[in-house]
Amino acid sequence: MLWSRFDPTRADVRIWARLVGPRGAVWCEMVLDTGSSKTVVDERLLARMGYNLLEAQPIAIATAGGRTEASIGTVRQLVALGMEATNLPVLAMPLWQSLGVDGLLGLDFLRRRNLFCNFEKGILLTLPFSRSLMHRFSLSVQIFAAL
Amino acid sequence: MTGQKPEPIEEIRKRFKDEWLLIKVTKHDKNGFPIEGILLFHNPNREAVYEALEAAFKQGEQELLTCFAGPLVPEGWEAVLNVVVTL
Repeated sequence: MLWSRFDPTRADVRIWARLVGPRGAVWCEMVLDTGSSKTVVDERLLARMGYNLLEAQPIAIATAGGRTEASIGTVRQLVALGMEATNLPVLAMPLWQSLGVDGLLGLDFLRRRNLFCNFEKGILLTLPFSRSLMHRFSLSVQIFAAL
Repeated sequence: MTGQKPEPIEEIRKRFKDEWLLIKVTKHDKNGFPIEGILLFHNPNREAVYEALEAAFKQGEQELLTCFAGPLVPEGWEAVLNVVVTL
């Protein structure tokens, strides 16, 4: 179990994520975005980390504002919220600098575990899917502690 | 490159409001999150920080941190983020 803290007074939920690339590892802030089907990382950050996006597969995406395009890049490792994904396909696209983050953590990453969020206290908890009654009970105890 | 000794990341963020930061991570908390580091570069322009990040990697740094020391969106704005892949 891992508790991640976020500032409950902010309009967004920002979390730390660790990206590993050909040149090394980078900690960056990403917005928890359950409205995104895919995780997004700023394409310029990926390029500076040593990823070659010139051969990346282009893909059409829909945003709240309309249709646009991005590239699919494969990140060697992404660690966030106590979860780790290796060789994760992400959308590489420019993110507006004024957003103040380097990426959006989407459902493709989040749905690997159960996600519990206490918006009042600013606690995010990721828990494995329940496998048995006893397991479910032990998970409930952990959620109880975060209430 | 500006920093010399490790200091709490939150302290660095307070000092450079509305700037993008590049920090060399020197300490993690018990959950593995970065809590202390050395400021390597700061600039209001994110692209300049990404450029410094690449240079730092080429100089042998292994674990860096980049972040913005300011609000998510400018005051008076709201963020609507969502991306759906359409194959």
